[in-house]
Amino acid sequence: MFMQIFEYNGSALVAMVGKNCFAIASDRRLGVQLQTIATDFQRISKIHDRLFLGLSGLATDAQTLYQRLVFRHKLYQLREERDMKPETFASLVSAILYEKRFGPYFCQPVIAGLGDEDKPFICTMDSIGAKELAKDFVVAGTASESLYGACESMFKENMEPEELFETVSQALLASVDRDCLSGWGGHVYVV
Amino acid sequence: MVKPAKGTTTLAFIFKEGVMVAADSRASMGGYISSQSVKKIIEINPYMLGTMAGGAADCQFWHRNLGTKCRLHELANKCRISVTGASKLLANILYSYRGMGLSVGTMIAGWDETGPGLYYVDNEGGRLKGMRFSVGSGSPYAYGVLDNGYRYDMSVEEAAELARRAIYHATFRDGASGGVASVYYVGPNGWKKLSGDDVGELHYRYYPVMPSTVEQEMFEVTGA
Repeated sequence: MFMQIFEYNGSALVAMVGKNCFAIASDRRLGVQLQTIATDFQRISKIHDRLFLGLSGLATDAQTLYQRLVFRHKLYQLREERDMKPETFASLVSAILYEKRFGPYFCQPVIAGLGDEDKPFICTMDSIGAKELAKDFVVAGTASESLYGACESMFKENMEPEELFETVSQALLASVDRDCLSGWGGHVYVV
Repeated sequence: MVKPAKGTTTLAFIFKEGVMVAADSRASMGGYISSQSVKKIIEINPYMLGTMAGGAADCQFWHRNLGTKCRLHELANKCRISVTGASKLLANILYSYRGMGLSVGTMIAGWDETGPGLYYVDNEGGRLKGMRFSVGSGSPYAYGVLDNGYRYDMSVEEAAELARRAIYHATFRDGASGGVASVYYVGPNGWKKLSGDDVGELHYRYYPVMPSTVEQEMFEVTGA
């Protein structure tokens, strides 16, 4: 079956803002077009205690990009002697993606973090680094259209962590049930 | 928007007691799941079943058409049509539409005077007689389980469990198969639906979750 490069591995990612907290969730399937290879694949990684990065799209590019970003963050920590703010990290990701403008990484990152005074920050970008900031939720992956619909209807402002967890999980599960290429449960991080 | 591979898993096999027919129930359009509750086993008449793989409209229409032709045969000849005859009727129709873009990968399973019968018929006009078939994008996975567990002298329950397991394993690996695993049995008195289990529930039945150590628990955040 002919598939696009972004649909080669399949993925579903969503991040949502709550009251002084955020949640970021992904599915767990890794596939090669229609065949499922693994049901416990990690798409979300921790950059530091208050900053998480999820990478959807081609899995090999996601892994490489993650390694490069961790490297850059460690250098930053050594130089500045502190963790990166989420807004700064988003700009870093955007710059690294645009470096490869004419031979891009086939990934769509979702960044979620807590900034100063525990203000939650989420953003997503396309594969060449165009940032999309949002105040409520961001989605990425093969199930993104379903995710938009599910989040739009389930989202409420200022949710507490437990309620945010429930909302994010239900939105993710409902959307991946309508997508052949993502599924097999979810990983949810609430900070 | 023609999909070359038929996104589904169907299987059928002959054993000592009759024919076992099983299928999943997912319909996909590219990556989007359009339905999880499609009936892929079509009841042509009370003693013959057809499976659907490929275009849903094509399969439904031509199976119903086949059912009509079988009934006409009964009325004209005062005896039931054989599985051989029915599958030949369908194969000839599909051959005449060859190259026009029909998408049909079906198995005709039934019980006639000569005993159990199973034929594979497709939109290229091919028709094959056999003991075990699986059709669809999930068929390689189903064949693995089916070929490994098959014996001619199984009981009805053993055969049903084999068919169910084969469909479950195909839905696990294949993204275009899923939903409900339906299992039908065709015996000397006609077909009977044996079970329809959600493959998600079958997963936990075959691989129950073992209690494991908790990695991270949610705890109250103080002073947020």
